[in-house]
Formats: sequence, C-alpha cells, structure tokens
Amino acid sequence: MVLVAANSLLEVEHLSVRFDRPGAGIHAVNDVSFDIAPGETLAVVGESGSGKSVSMLSIMGLVPSPPARVSGSIRLQGQELVGLSARRLNRLRGRDMAMVFQEPMSSLNPVHRVGDQIGESLRIHRGLARAEARRRAVALLDRVGIPSAADRAGSYPHELSGGMRQRAMIAMALACDPNLLIADEPTTALDVTVQAQIVDLIGELQDERRLAVIWVTHDLGVVAEIADRVAVMYGGRLLETGPARRIYRSSRHPYTLGLLQSIPRLDRPTATRLPEIPEAPMRMAGALRGCPFDSRCPMAAEGCADTLPELEPVEGGGHRSACLHHRKIDSAEVLFPETPAAAEPRSATADPSQVLVSVRALKVHFPATGGLARRRAGAVRALDGVDLDIERGRTLGLVGESGCGKTTLGRALVALVRPTEGAIDIKGRLINHRSGPHQRVVQMIFQDPLSAMNPGMRARDVIAEPIRLHRMAPPDAIRERVVRLMEQVGLPPESGDRYPHEFSGGQRQRIAVARALAAEPEVVVCDEPVSALDVSVQAQVVNLLADVQAATGMAIVFISHDLAVVRHISHRVAVMYMGEIVEQGDRDRLYEDPLHPYTKALLAAVPVPEPEGAGPGDRTRLAGELPSPADPPSGCRFHTRCPVAVKGLCSTTKPRLSEASPGRWVSCHLVNPPCT
Amino acid sequence: MRRRFDIRRLTQYGVVVVVAVTLNFLLPRLMPGSPLTLIAGVDVGLLSADQRAEIMARVGLDAALWKQYLRYWGDIFTGDFGYSFRSSRPIVDMIWDRLPWTLLITGLSFIVSAVVGVVLGAISAWRRGTKIDLGMLSGMISIESLPSFWLGMVLISIFAVQWRLLPSSGAVTSASDLVGWAHTWDIVRHAILPAATLSILATPGVYMTMRYSMLETLREDYIRTARAKGADERRVLFGHVARNAIAPVVTVLALRLGFAFGGTVIVETVFSYPGLGRMVFDAVSGRDYPVMQAAFLVFTAAVLAANLLADLLYPLIDPRTRTS
Repeated sequence: MVLVAANSLLEVEHLSVRFDRPGAGIHAVNDVSFDIAPGETLAVVGESGSGKSVSMLSIMGLVPSPPARVSGSIRLQGQELVGLSARRLNRLRGRDMAMVFQEPMSSLNPVHRVGDQIGESLRIHRGLARAEARRRAVALLDRVGIPSAADRAGSYPHELSGGMRQRAMIAMALACDPNLLIADEPTTALDVTVQAQIVDLIGELQDERRLAVIWVTHDLGVVAEIADRVAVMYGGRLLETGPARRIYRSSRHPYTLGLLQSIPRLDRPTATRLPEIPEAPMRMAGALRGCPFDSRCPMAAEGCADTLPELEPVEGGGHRSACLHHRKIDSAEVLFPETPAAAEPRSATADPSQVLVSVRALKVHFPATGGLARRRAGAVRALDGVDLDIERGRTLGLVGESGCGKTTLGRALVALVRPTEGAIDIKGRLINHRSGPHQRVVQMIFQDPLSAMNPGMRARDVIAEPIRLHRMAPPDAIRERVVRLMEQVGLPPESGDRYPHEFSGGQRQRIAVARALAAEPEVVVCDEPVSALDVSVQAQVVNLLADVQAATGMAIVFISHDLAVVRHISHRVAVMYMGEIVEQGDRDRLYEDPLHPYTKALLAAVPVPEPEGAGPGDRTRLAGELPSPADPPSGCRFHTRCPVAVKGLCSTTKPRLSEASPGRWVSCHLVNPPCT
Repeated sequence: MRRRFDIRRLTQYGVVVVVAVTLNFLLPRLMPGSPLTLIAGVDVGLLSADQRAEIMARVGLDAALWKQYLRYWGDIFTGDFGYSFRSSRPIVDMIWDRLPWTLLITGLSFIVSAVVGVVLGAISAWRRGTKIDLGMLSGMISIESLPSFWLGMVLISIFAVQWRLLPSSGAVTSASDLVGWAHTWDIVRHAILPAATLSILATPGVYMTMRYSMLETLREDYIRTARAKGADERRVLFGHVARNAIAPVVTVLALRLGFAFGGTVIVETVFSYPGLGRMVFDAVSGRDYPVMQAAFLVFTAAVLAANLLADLLYPLIDPRTRTS
C-alpha cells in the first residue's frame, strides 16, 4: 500500500501511538505511513490534537513509554527505531536525527550557557573536550547568523531574544551534522519578521548539507514556499499527502480545502466573510469507526461515519487522499463558500465626526527593573507619544512585532495601566483611572480565554458577571439575558452550566465575547483574540466579532501580530514600532500601498499559502530584531533596521507623524521630507 | 560579568534588623506594670521610694525613652546584653558558652537532613509512581507528624535506656577529665541523639520540596531537548535536572537553618543539652526577661543570616536571578 522511494532516509510505516489510560485508551496516532528522502522537505500540517507532534516525538523516541505504546515501523537509514534500546537510540539522537521545538525559551536549559548547551551534542557524540566543543559551538552560532557569536556563546538563554534563542536551538540541532531535522512548529512563537528569517535560515542550511527536514506546523502559509511534499493530519490520521503544488492547487480532501480556505490571506477580497470549518477540531479519542472529519465535513455522506477511509492514490505523482468521495470533490469555493460580509453597521457609515475615543500624546513608561541599587537606568518606553482616534462602529487594527507597545496601548484604553503622560478621553470624558462607568463602556477580550476566566465559575456566571456588577438588569432577568447572549455568540444555551475548561478553545473565546457583550460596551479591545486558536477556528471567531459589530455598532480595537487577520477585520490600521505609531490609514489603502518601510517589511514577511514561485517575488527580509525599548535608537527608531535609511538624517532627526494624504499618517523622512 | 549584591536587598535586611531590635526594646516596656517588677521581683512593694529611684537610676530607666533606645543600640553594638536575673552572669558570656553546643547539633542535623532529604527526594522523583517512591513518600509524611519531644523520648528509651549505647543527657560526661580524642568522642556521643532527633524531624520537609521540585523539572521542555540530543539518563539527571531542581530547595534549606535555632528549645530540654534552646527554656520558666530578650535577638540574627545566605547562593545556581 505504501510506496517507498528507493533512496528513502526515513520510512515510517503503519505508525500507531496509543496512550493507555484507566478507562478508555487514547489513540493519538493511527496507522500513519510516510517517507522522506535526503534533502527533501516534508511539511506535516494539522491542528491541535491531530497527532502531528506525537508522531514526530515517536520518531525521536521521546514519547514516554509507558503510558504510550508505539507500534508499526520507523526506519532511519534502514535501521528500525521502534523497540530500539535506549542506549542505541541515544547514539542516533542528536547525531543522525535532531529536533527543534516550538518554544525556544523553555526548550533551552536556563542554568547553562548557550555555547555549552550546543557543545553538549558534540561532547556526547564526538567525545570532544569542553574547550574544543565550545570553540565549535561559536562557529555554529556564527553560522546560524548570531552576531558576535563568541560573546553570545557565553550568554544564558534568558539573555537572548526569541529569534536568537531559536537560532541557537537550530545550531544545537545541527551540531553533529544530522541527516534528518524535525522542526516542530519552530516559528509559531516568533514574530512574522523573525519567522521569515528562520524559514530562510533552515532553507539555506538544508541546501548546504542535503538535510531532510520534516516541518511540523498548523499553518499552511508558513511552509508553502519551502515544502516539497505535504502531509495533512487530522484526528491522528493522515488524510492527504502529496507534492506541495498539488496539495495547494488541487487538493482532493475536504479538510485540506477547508484549511486552505480559512487562512486569512493578504490577497483575499475583504468584502467577504472568512470561510469557516464548523465546530472544533476533533480531540484525541479512542478507536474510530469512520472518517475523523465526518462531523465537520460539508460533503459528508452515507458511509463516511462508519467506513474508515484509506489513503488512495489520486491521479498519480504520489498524491493520495483518504476520502471516500475524493473523486467527486468540488472546488474549495463550493465546499467552503465565501459569503458576503455582514452589512456595515448603520452608525459606521463613515461619519468621521463619530470619534468615540481619542488618545492624545499618550506615554506609558515602566521603570526598568533589575538595576543595581535601583539606579535610575531609565524606563522602558512602552508607549512614547501615541495619537489615535477610535470611531464608533468601526474596527481599528493595531499591528507590530511583540514589544512594540500594542498590548500596552490596549491596556491603557481599558485603564489597566496608568498613563505616564498624555490623555485618553472616551465620549469627551477624560479617563485616568478605571472608574465605574468606564469599566462598563470599554471591555477587553484576551488572547488566552482559559486563563482569563475564573476556573471555578460556570460559563453562565462568567457571562452574567458584568450584568450583576453594573446592575444592568434585575436578578430575575439575568438568566434570560445570558441565554440571549449565548445564542448571539453561537453557544448552545444549555452549555451554560459547564465550567470553562470543559469547552474547546474556540468556544471559550465565544464565552469571552459574550462576557464582553454583556456589559453592552461601546468599545471592545481584543488583544490577540485568535492567536491561540486553531486556524479553522480563527475564522469562526473573526466572523463572530464582525457579526457582533454589525449588530451592536460597537467599536473594536483589534490587536494582532497577524497582518492578514487584521486586514480582514479592520477598517483602519495603525502600525506600531517601539512605542510609536509609524503609519496609520484606511485598511485598503494601507495594505495596497504601504508607505513606511516598516509596514512594507511587515507585509513582505507575511507567508503566502501558495507553493514556491507563486508568492510575491519580493523577498526583502527585515534584518535583526527590535532594539531595547529601554534605550531606543536616536532619530527615527526604525533606522537601525531600515533598508532605505538615509545616512546623517534618519539617525539624527526624529520624523514626525504627519498626514501624507487625507487620512493617511506616516512618520518617515522619505515620505514627508523634513522642512529645510 | 559582574555580580554584586543588590543594595536594595541589603536595605531590606537593614529595615528588618531595625524593626526587630525596636520591638525587642519596646516589648518589656509595653508590658503592664512598672519595669521595677521585672527587676526587683515580687518584693517591689516593700521598697521605699528612694530605693526605687535608686534602682531606676542604676539601670538607667530614669532617662528619656529615646535616650534609653539609643543606649540599647549602643549596648548591642558593644555586645552588652546586661545580666541575667537568676544567675547574675553577663548574658553575653552565657550566650557564648551555649552557642557552640547549639551550633554543633543544629549544624549536624542540617547537614544530615539536607543530604538525606535531597538524595531521597531525587530518588523518589526519578522513580515516580513506583513502590520505592510511594513507600518513601508515606514514610516521610508519617515522620513529619511526629512531635519532637515524643521522638526524643523514644530515642532515649531505646538507645540510652534499653541498649545503653548512648548517653541520654548533657553535652559531655560531667566530672570526667577526658582529653584529646577521648574528649572529642565523648562530645560526639552526647550529640548523636539530639542531632538525630532534629535530623529526622527536618528531613521530610527537604524531601518533599526536592521531590516536588524535581517532578516539576522533569516535565520541563529542556529535559526533552536534552534527550533529543542523545544525552543518557545519567547526563539528563546530573547535567540538566539536578541543578534546576535544587534551586527551590536551597531556599527551603536556608529558612530551616534559620528556624533550626528555635527548634532546639524542646529537643535540648528533652536531652538536657546545654545549648541556647535550653537557656531559653530556663529563662522562660524563671521569668528571666533579659536573657529571653537577648536570645530573641540571636534567633532573629540567625534567621536573617540564613536568608542572606540563600539570597547570595541563589544567583550562583540560577543565572536568571543575577542582577546585571
């Protein structure tokens, strides 16, 4: 059934992983087979609970057993790994195969120097002495693009930035020149700009060493440019596999099509709602009788629920799909149609005088911590002079890399942080502390809904809290209101008795939306509301927010690092860099014609879910990472990373945010030349 | 990289010292009745006004409160804690006599409980869920619940009374003129039972902390990274788990070291051991306030010193806590 190329480096056949638990066992991986040749890139794509990480960890022999039972066959360079003794496995790990993990901070040992951690592989496998290993580690750090590698080798992980840490992880994985690199969501925790750098780096290293790479991701966009082949996993099974071009262009599985359709893209028309896959991704469960995607599939038909579909060849070229109906699959547009966006709320019909919130010269500085004897080393300038208007019934998108101040701005709007200078007024009233009425008018939705809810409260009470707090309804009317809110956000009202942990991620975020709506707010600040969700669920929440806005006319401040999502939901967009707004304008014009070099760089870094060659030819990558916000660069704060900075001007003179065209504000000398 | 102790931390310690000393100064003065009652005892009613004034002047209680307070500080710096009501000896001398004994048994029990607790805790966590782990865990919980005087008496009845292996009281055999090794051996034999009692009681706390901390560390992503590198179990345990797991244990150990002084009161009394704890017991039962006051200061100093030690050690173990 499985066609194995003659020159395979890794062959996985009928891999299954079960977790024995008292009661029902969990079938995390079911009968998964694939192979990879030297120098090839295989992208393994799936949502949380798809079994993709467990599969990869079992290749590395890192699934704790017991409770896990791994069966099937995993052959690396012809050698069987399933059932191999720990001693023999240790000889292969780090030498012939290596792994890079998602969270570089927690994946590095905090008490050892980076150089020593990289050198450790060399000491284990090559028997090098400490000094020699350290010397080699410096060379490796240099190779993965870490500046002044010799110094950095002596640093501890917490002293490096996120991107640097991931580079160090890569250096560690490649120390002994393995033939197989497994990268498990290596860029998910990183900013788009850094993500692009890491993708490029792994690509370069791969070419240099004929490295086979298995790239595990939930995001089809990230791997589009680099994958040779794609394997799509769901519910512990392989649903579709084939050459990247075919998967992206002519997938023969409804799930893949749904994933591709629900990714917000920069080239999708904004007038439509994001197509969504209904419901939540399947959780790992016991043995399955039918297709795992059955309950969410728009073309589920008779037989799907009780026939286990096998991977069958589609047309050839190694393209295989596990769908009973793959021959009659419609195009993605038919299966997951784009529907017209909800009507613009009445109040938003572009009356520019409808300013609800205005922010003037807002500064928020935090004292720098950890100084000797509280030496006033300075302050972290989280916000350094921000001017902003939020209009009734419209959405303002706030984008920028982590550390740019977008979250602080959101918190300042909700009055969770106190401004150091400047003013925020809402409906003409100055806000400088979280007073009662303000509490109700401005609501916030957080990134991680689970940690933002009291675990001991039932969903119903979570939603009812603002109503009780602000005495918005008599006690006997609260229940009915909660039911209405739950219906409005698409939650079954009978689930109100459940506790937050009993809901899926997407449902929890719906509870958070209902809780915000309960206060009948005029502004809702959403801080990365979909970043923690699976791709297929992101679209549901984004659409929900748009619907709710159309129904209530509330203003939304949508904070995100994901420019494609922001584009989809926003009316206006503000780009932030180091505590300042560098560009602001109407959504369509800003995305079509970005003026500030930083905006351009951010847009160029957004991955496009199109296979190689189809993406924009523009490969300018933003170099480096955010400078320290405690000590911002002189002049234009972006000049240290700007590809077009003018010597003698940008490093000395600070550009002002000024109107480049009506409604379009940019702070760049090249757009608005300074008066001479 | 320069490492210097955070001055803010030192200031915090300074504040604690000042507060402790001030409380110590105020407490006897806040107690009901004249301080004369403390000094002259029940006979105070028999004294004439002149006699009272004379006593007050002699001990300096006629001066203004702030002057007394300043003098108190002066006395502390010059090591003058006054005289015991009961024995009329200088309290400083008493403390110096007794401190070595207390240091001996607390030091011994500290080392034993630290080593045993850390090692057993590590084994338990490494073999989590096995019979060894569960056995040790339930054993430690049982020990934790033992009252110290009871354990002391049990040890005495077994080792001193039943088997006559070890002495049951004192720090040295009285009226013996042992010298050299014989003398040292005599001291050790006397220290074993009280030190063992303290060690047994202190071990479960260390064990629990170590076991829990290690279980947490074993779950960390970087342990998985180490395995992915091909590190064998030995290297994972000693190179990656141990140092991370030990950090929180150091804090617990330091706190215990500080409180160990206070913990000696009961054990030293049970074993009639001539340490500070016994001194406090005698002072409390004899209402010897100046001695109690001095002992209070010594205990405070011990707790602070132990904390300071932990603060100084922590950055050596965990680089994230180093100030840059």
